[in-house]
Amino acid sequence: MLEIEQIDVYRGDIQILWSVSLTAEDGKITALLGSNAAGKTTLLMTISGLIKPLRGRIRLEGHQIDKQPVHKIVELGVSMVPEGRRLFPEMSVFENLELGAFTRKARETKDQMIEEVFGIFPILKARKVQMAGTLSGGEQQMVAIARALMSQPKLLLIDELSLGLAPLIMQHISETIKQINITRGLAIFIVEQNVFMTLEMADYGYILENGRIVGEGEAKKLLQSEEVKNAYLGIGEV
Amino acid sequence: MAQIIVYGIITGAFYGLAAVGLSLVFGVMRHMNIAHGSFLMIGGFAAYWLFHLLKLDPFVSIPLVMVILFAIGAALYKGLFSRLDKLPEGLKINNSMLVGFGLTWVIDNLAILFWTSDVRAVTPSYTGKVWHVLPGLRIPVVGLVVIGIASLVIFSLYLILTRTYFGKSVRATAQDRDAGNLMGINVERTYLIFFALSAALAGIAGVVAAVNYSVYPTVGFEWLLKAIIILVLAGFGKIGPVFAAGLLLGVIEGVSVYFVGATYREVVGLVIFILVLLRRST
Amino acid sequence: MEYSKRGFVISGIAILLLILFPLVAGTQHTLNLFIVLFITVILAQSWNILGGYAGQISLGNAAFFGVGALSFHFLAWRGGLPLYLALPAGGVTAVILASLIGIPALRLKGVYFAIGSLAFAEALRITVGNLFPLTVYIPTAQIVSYGLLPRYYLALMVAVITQVVAYCMIKSKIGLAMMAIRDDSEAADTSGVHLFKYKFVALVFSSFFSGLAGGIFAYYQDSIVPAFLFTPQWTFEPLVAAAVGGAGTLLGPMIGSVFLIILTELFALTLGKAYLIIFGAIFIFVVLFFPGGLIEASERIRKSIFG
Repeated sequence: MLEIEQIDVYRGDIQILWSVSLTAEDGKITALLGSNAAGKTTLLMTISGLIKPLRGRIRLEGHQIDKQPVHKIVELGVSMVPEGRRLFPEMSVFENLELGAFTRKARETKDQMIEEVFGIFPILKARKVQMAGTLSGGEQQMVAIARALMSQPKLLLIDELSLGLAPLIMQHISETIKQINITRGLAIFIVEQNVFMTLEMADYGYILENGRIVGEGEAKKLLQSEEVKNAYLGIGEV
Repeated sequence: MAQIIVYGIITGAFYGLAAVGLSLVFGVMRHMNIAHGSFLMIGGFAAYWLFHLLKLDPFVSIPLVMVILFAIGAALYKGLFSRLDKLPEGLKINNSMLVGFGLTWVIDNLAILFWTSDVRAVTPSYTGKVWHVLPGLRIPVVGLVVIGIASLVIFSLYLILTRTYFGKSVRATAQDRDAGNLMGINVERTYLIFFALSAALAGIAGVVAAVNYSVYPTVGFEWLLKAIIILVLAGFGKIGPVFAAGLLLGVIEGVSVYFVGATYREVVGLVIFILVLLRRST
Repeated sequence: MEYSKRGFVISGIAILLLILFPLVAGTQHTLNLFIVLFITVILAQSWNILGGYAGQISLGNAAFFGVGALSFHFLAWRGGLPLYLALPAGGVTAVILASLIGIPALRLKGVYFAIGSLAFAEALRITVGNLFPLTVYIPTAQIVSYGLLPRYYLALMVAVITQVVAYCMIKSKIGLAMMAIRDDSEAADTSGVHLFKYKFVALVFSSFFSGLAGGIFAYYQDSIVPAFLFTPQWTFEPLVAAAVGGAGTLLGPMIGSVFLIILTELFALTLGKAYLIIFGAIFIFVVLFFPGGLIEASERIRKSIFG
């Protein structure tokens, strides 16, 4: 589904990502782990097109996307749940969802998708007309995910799901995401600090440190590996 | 007194029309388009020439004027203002003001070059006609049309911004540009269309000015002055407050002119302006 | 830009040349040209301190210019105040008026001050036009004894003073604070730079010297239409001069003014008022593509030649 080949990414003059390569398989949940400032958000922003890599290539289903403008990449089927949710605060939940279905293709199935996401996140239906900026953290996260689903993407990018969320809500949401992956066969690429929870959910994982990939493997195996346990699980378990 | 208030409302409706484009563009895109007054001027001249060459009634010519200004606005945005998009906000605002300022000079002096500095006005047959509502209360027919146009514009803008996908995408990108991009919104194109729209709005105001007042190449600055006062009164980006502030300014100006004479008309606006600034800064 | 000993020597020579010039080669035409140049330089540097250094764009310098000119006219020509009092008084009046709009507007975001100054200048123009619609003349006694030379030297002296004061201010703590505000006002704020104080200092400088320039103009012109003193042209041309020369540099306004005056001379005969179109176009070009103006351009050329 997604192939990243040796990308070098800079923010201004500073190099953040060094020769990063990874693959996200169709229908699978792929996780990217690493501590703060390792470059995870930069990687996601590069995939979505907000930043362009200086070197290397990114391919979606074989098509090269690293030079495309953001809205084109969205049209090709990539949808992102950004770090910090990035909802439109002065618009209602409903309007935020509508905007998720902005692309021409998505508008055709808008009404149907709204029903579907209300099915997945029933609480949003009740909050339909409320201003997005007034929702709780967990509810905002749900809106963000629902909004990203509205365009019926082929690849869902999730940046830092757990930020600022209570553990119980986190649990509920991550289970929901697993469900979405199973029922729709949607490829998901998730970037996280919370190692334990993410590896439980994921199929495959990569570890990013200081802008370089330093490890990868099947999620179950990573959970059990000594390095990961020592380096992260101490921090990861809140 | 009621008569004065009526005139004030008509003036105020025009002020609102003049200011709304400027306000929206700044609220959404953070470009302070100083050349907005010049767009108004072009609209006024367009109405004038259409009236004199094609005998086109000015109010009927509004759609055509809108198209002309839309094209001009789009071209200017594409060529000039869009280059400022990548800048951080403070620099973007500053530079857009400078570009707008320079643009005013180019446009206004081109107008002088082509059309001379003579004052023009559009006077269709119904210019003098007046509607006698009550003894002592007359409303000029033109004034009624102005209020009608202003209302139509407010209503249409409201519908566009709340009911259409385009309008929602504009509001969304104003709140969070990157998130807008992530929805698949072509933010650059949205900005382009929106800027061109604001030019078209200025064009409408220009037509009204040509009929109700007069136009000459440097009139843009005077109308810009009013628009700025309203912006400071009403804030940026919302349609309703802009028109309300316009009405307020129009009525207050009218009433105070009655008491202190026409010489001090601008002083009234300026005093209000400074008072509002004082209020906002504390 | 660092001023070295060499810089001082060059400046000194330039000033000397300017002093000697009228005695050696001055014609009516060139003297007039230089006076206008000096006024433009003063106005350009005034804008530059506020806009180029303190980062506070002003679009209404015409207001300060006009106020200075009008005050001078009334104090000196109608009120009989001697020149050396009337001129600074004009500057002071401009400062007072600038504070009227500046004290509230400087506290707000930059855009408010910019459009506020524009509105201020425009409103003054229209009001003055209504209050004093007739042309005003310098008193006949002055016409009889009118000499270009004193006006030339006055303009030159004030221009030099402007540059010197600007230089001292920029090189001092004040200048550092201003540039910090310009580059990142939030960061400056949190590091304890008193935003308002320094912006206000810049405003005082800007309005005072613009007022002086106005006074010089009132001293120089034999007749004025009062409203004309407030036309946006008096804001625009110095702005273009400062930007084209290089905003945020000390020499920029001077270089830009010279450049503009030369251009005006070249175009005056062929294009008349239309030269403003060319200025506008050059200005937009500079803002979009060459924000450092001529100074930046020459730096780049120098670097590419000498490495």
